[in-house]
Amino acid sequence: MHDFTLHNISKSFGNLEVLHSVSASFPEASVTAVLGPSGAGKTTLLNIVSGLLTPDTGTIGDFASATFSYAFQEPRLLPWLDVEENLRFALSSLHDKPKAETRAQMFLKEAGLEEFRYSFPAQLSGGMRQKASLVRAFAFPSDVLLLDEALSAVDIKVRIELLDLFARLWQEEKRTTIFVSHDLHDALYIADQVILLSARPATVMDSITIEIPRELRSYDADQLKDVERRLYREILASS
Amino acid sequence: MKCTTRKPRPPKRLSADVNVGHGFAKRMVYGLLGVLVACGVWQLVSTRIGVSLVLPGPGEVAHAFVMLMWKLAFWEAVWGTFRRVLIAFVISLALGFCTGMIAGLNAPFRDMIAPFVTIIRATPVMALILILMFWFPAGHVPVVSAMLMAYPVVHTSLYQGTIGTDKNLLEMAHIFKVPKPVVFFRLRLPAVRGHLASAAKNCLGLCWKVIVAGEVLSQPRFGLGTGLQSARLSLDTAGVFAWAITSIALCGISEFLLGLLARKLQEEEAINA
Repeated sequence: MHDFTLHNISKSFGNLEVLHSVSASFPEASVTAVLGPSGAGKTTLLNIVSGLLTPDTGTIGDFASATFSYAFQEPRLLPWLDVEENLRFALSSLHDKPKAETRAQMFLKEAGLEEFRYSFPAQLSGGMRQKASLVRAFAFPSDVLLLDEALSAVDIKVRIELLDLFARLWQEEKRTTIFVSHDLHDALYIADQVILLSARPATVMDSITIEIPRELRSYDADQLKDVERRLYREILASS
Repeated sequence: MKCTTRKPRPPKRLSADVNVGHGFAKRMVYGLLGVLVACGVWQLVSTRIGVSLVLPGPGEVAHAFVMLMWKLAFWEAVWGTFRRVLIAFVISLALGFCTGMIAGLNAPFRDMIAPFVTIIRATPVMALILILMFWFPAGHVPVVSAMLMAYPVVHTSLYQGTIGTDKNLLEMAHIFKVPKPVVFFRLRLPAVRGHLASAAKNCLGLCWKVIVAGEVLSQPRFGLGTGLQSARLSLDTAGVFAWAITSIALCGISEFLLGLLARKLQEEEAINA
């Protein structure tokens, strides 16, 4: 079992303290949503987890030796490569090339992107680009999957489609996932645990386990309403 | 898996993003019109002066040009200059490309090379040619001086392109642990191709100018600059104009041919952006 935990993580940029003594545990093979107001330091937290940033203080447990795949806020596809080549680019560190090829094809098919595999990013809509970015993150066989507001820049219909796609792909390979969002509803739809961050400097306000089985969840499920109300109260109380 | 769909090319043009202007034919017509107007003004001024030793008319220059074209020495001069331009262009492009990219990737190398680039850039071309005449044979002076003049242009452009490579894409490649050679060939090189195209275009124009200037001073056996200087010494003003027009035309043609490639790369980059 991996120990995906953060202990007393603090991070400042100059005089600006972004994270203050953040501690959290991320159960293996589960989805943890990190919620917080804009500018609270959610992306900083993900960057520390993935090793892109080093914390000023604190430890990051087994994250230090883990491999990551990342779906960023913006798709970050190479504009001169088509969708399939973008996937291959991300998978190029895999030594088993046939396996990498099979994975790329499998995830493209699963996401319904097969007919767009030869399309260049400039030829795709924003939603399709984000979908390709999500598929790329899933296709890379990592220990931890990180999603940084990967669904925030698309309209509600595309967002629900992408959330459904995420849920479907996640069922294929249940990976430890950290999903950063400022949308409560999105988080509750796909997460097993929600970590609520305060405004900057961010501290962990609360950590809630969502007991509702995944198969009973849908975007408009009544079962999520109680948790949503409780979280709203906490957010409002903290502000 | 059997591939049944034909792979399309990248999008060719998004008119909102790329300033494509007129079509080719229209541009040619307008260009020709500009030349005709300039020739008219030239003829008027020449007639007003009335001394062909000072300013020969376009007809006289055209005649001198046609006469030149019948001489073997003219074609040897054209080939001599063209060969020098090609050598200087290729070497300065290759050298500037390498050092520009390395400087963009490696800060100590950038700081180490910066004084040399600054000195070369600040050196007046005539001073450089005169200095090089002490060290190199006449035929090599124009090549070396053009290389030194064009190299900083390519170096700086590639350096700017390398440091301007999208950090988000590099971060993405880092997260997915993409091997460095793949990052270089699939991300870094395509990211600088627009800079390379514009650097090549500037480098070529500069090479033509400096090579001809170098030939005028160093007097190699065959060269457009040598022809220019010989015509000047024999007070053949129409001949000087004919040699100058030859050099301008060759520079224009080679820039046009390179421009076709450069424009394609830059358009693709604009679309991708």
